[in-house]
Amino acid sequence: MTAPQALPGNRDENWRYANLRPLAKARPDALPRPEAAALPVPAPLAGFQQWVFADARLVDRPAAPDGGNVADCLDARTAGDAFAGILDAEIAAAGVDFALSRANARHGDEVLRIAVPDGTQAAIDVSFFAVASGAQGTSYPRLQIQLGRRARLELIERHLSAGAPDAVVNAAVDVSVGAGATLSHVRVQDCAEQASVFDTLVAHVGEHAQYRLRTITLGGLSARSTAFIKLAGRAARCDFVAASVANGVQTHDFFAEIDHAAPEAATRELFRGIAGGRGKLAFNGKMIVRENAHDADSDQSLKTLLNGSGAEAAARPQLEIYTDRVKAKHGATSGKLDEQMLFYLLSRGIDRPQAQALLQWAFIEDAISQIELAPLRQRIEQLVAARLNEVASLDGLVSRS
Amino acid sequence: MMLKIDNLSATVGGKKVLNGLTLAIDAGEVHAIMGPNGSGKSTLSYVLAGRPGYDITGGSVTFEGRDLTTLAPEERARAGLFLGFQYPVEIPGVNNVYLLKAAVNARRKALGLTEVDAYEFLQLVRAKMKLMQMDESFLSRGVNEGFSGGEKKRNEILQMLVIEPTLAVLDETDSGLDIDALKVVARGVNSLRAANRGVLLITHYQRLLDHIVPDQVHVLARGRIAKSGDKSLALELEKRGYDWVTEAA
Repeated sequence: MTAPQALPGNRDENWRYANLRPLAKARPDALPRPEAAALPVPAPLAGFQQWVFADARLVDRPAAPDGGNVADCLDARTAGDAFAGILDAEIAAAGVDFALSRANARHGDEVLRIAVPDGTQAAIDVSFFAVASGAQGTSYPRLQIQLGRRARLELIERHLSAGAPDAVVNAAVDVSVGAGATLSHVRVQDCAEQASVFDTLVAHVGEHAQYRLRTITLGGLSARSTAFIKLAGRAARCDFVAASVANGVQTHDFFAEIDHAAPEAATRELFRGIAGGRGKLAFNGKMIVRENAHDADSDQSLKTLLNGSGAEAAARPQLEIYTDRVKAKHGATSGKLDEQMLFYLLSRGIDRPQAQALLQWAFIEDAISQIELAPLRQRIEQLVAARLNEVASLDGLVSRS
Repeated sequence: MMLKIDNLSATVGGKKVLNGLTLAIDAGEVHAIMGPNGSGKSTLSYVLAGRPGYDITGGSVTFEGRDLTTLAPEERARAGLFLGFQYPVEIPGVNNVYLLKAAVNARRKALGLTEVDAYEFLQLVRAKMKLMQMDESFLSRGVNEGFSGGEKKRNEILQMLVIEPTLAVLDETDSGLDIDALKVVARGVNSLRAANRGVLLITHYQRLLDHIVPDQVHVLARGRIAKSGDKSLALELEKRGYDWVTEAA
């Protein structure tokens, strides 16, 4: 039995690939509100209400949009209790997988609560800046998202650095998508390369509801994303696309469990990751199909690309199926650049470094192209191209923002 | 002489495939290489283009006075050599127009020219696409992505027309084409014929040569040229098959 305070270790089943050292070294106390300083806040996107947090503390309360505010910054201690009743208690088991989320609840002070009423829609862009060093404390961002029946929310969640490069972030996101509702959630982690960024996402998806999740992970010496998504209602659907570029000595680790707990629940999961230099990447995608979840449909495509002699990557689909009436497709590959494609480009006179950059781009674009919101997608393309260190080579392929 | 292949031997995966091949193509000429499966036709095209794994073990290849074998594949392309692939690969995520432009600019840079003007480039591509009867929507699609076999072959010829190489090596560009598509492809190749260009057509069938009339026809057998002649040789092969040539070789 794991003690409630214990942090996960590499011996824990779902944590084998994570780099947990920075977390163990970090001071667990919540960071105080940083002194006011100019933050490199992303340019606003049309129609989105923008919220900005520094070390998980609200910087400015934005003006309410027409139709009133669906978001509010609340005291974490009271907000947690109120939300517990909304979220499916069965999702968050007591195990070590939720230790970080519990630490967030224990230490965090502020929660951004987004509650979209039945039949209404909203668009929100949240940036969490990590400012202070992990030696001073940990940043505990928390989001609670609740969509009423047939509500729609477009949500952008960004984790960025401003200040100390070696910040430690432990974020938690709780999601409840009501019947017939649609949540489009784009998560971008572009913190400094020395940062440590951990997050736990727990989601409950209701009947005929859709959860479209896009996760782009670029920053962090150590980044670990944990997701537990329960397709709780009939015909609930999760469409999860993740992309990651781990260079240098970065470690990016993902664990995503999608639990098909109702009939006709459907999932499509796609991961594309590039490990360069001595970077390490792991994606563990676990699909559970419960006994009553007949006619469930799950499709996993997990691919990693190695781009360095010291790079490591593991793409692991896992299936736990308790019913016969199910469609479950999965594919996982880890490999180097396709030699045939490379030769084809070279045979057209393209330089080897440019050809390699093009193929890496083509590989990751499979995932990036699925960010529906065009202006956001273009910015993310720029960020990804910068991580591939070949922006110039990709000029013309990557849209200019 | 534009291309001079002298006593060329090459191995693929340690197996000897080319065995003392000698061939010369002059500017303005179209040569056809025919031969049975496994005779080394595709190997010759890959050796010329510099594909990794195709190792030259003897002989020489000179292209416009330069030793081709010392050049990397991309350098050969920039020097003016173009390979039309038998099986063009699909590269989703890199769009056709991007590849075309990058290829043209790579060649122009090698020739000491400035980058192509975006507007003029698009006009040129559109004109060539019309000739190849390709819809403009192909431009924004991934390279060969979801293309039918015939569309891929047309796209190879389109690339050739836009890049304007000095020597085009076309590896079974006719395979898998219906008669209408074959005519379109032949029209594209013929439009590139010029006094300063050479073409090496690799083909199984005589029918392509009805539409692209070669100056010389060679039969490849067991890794070397077994017989050479004019276009009438292709007709004779069509009637009699390869055995009479390969057995004599």
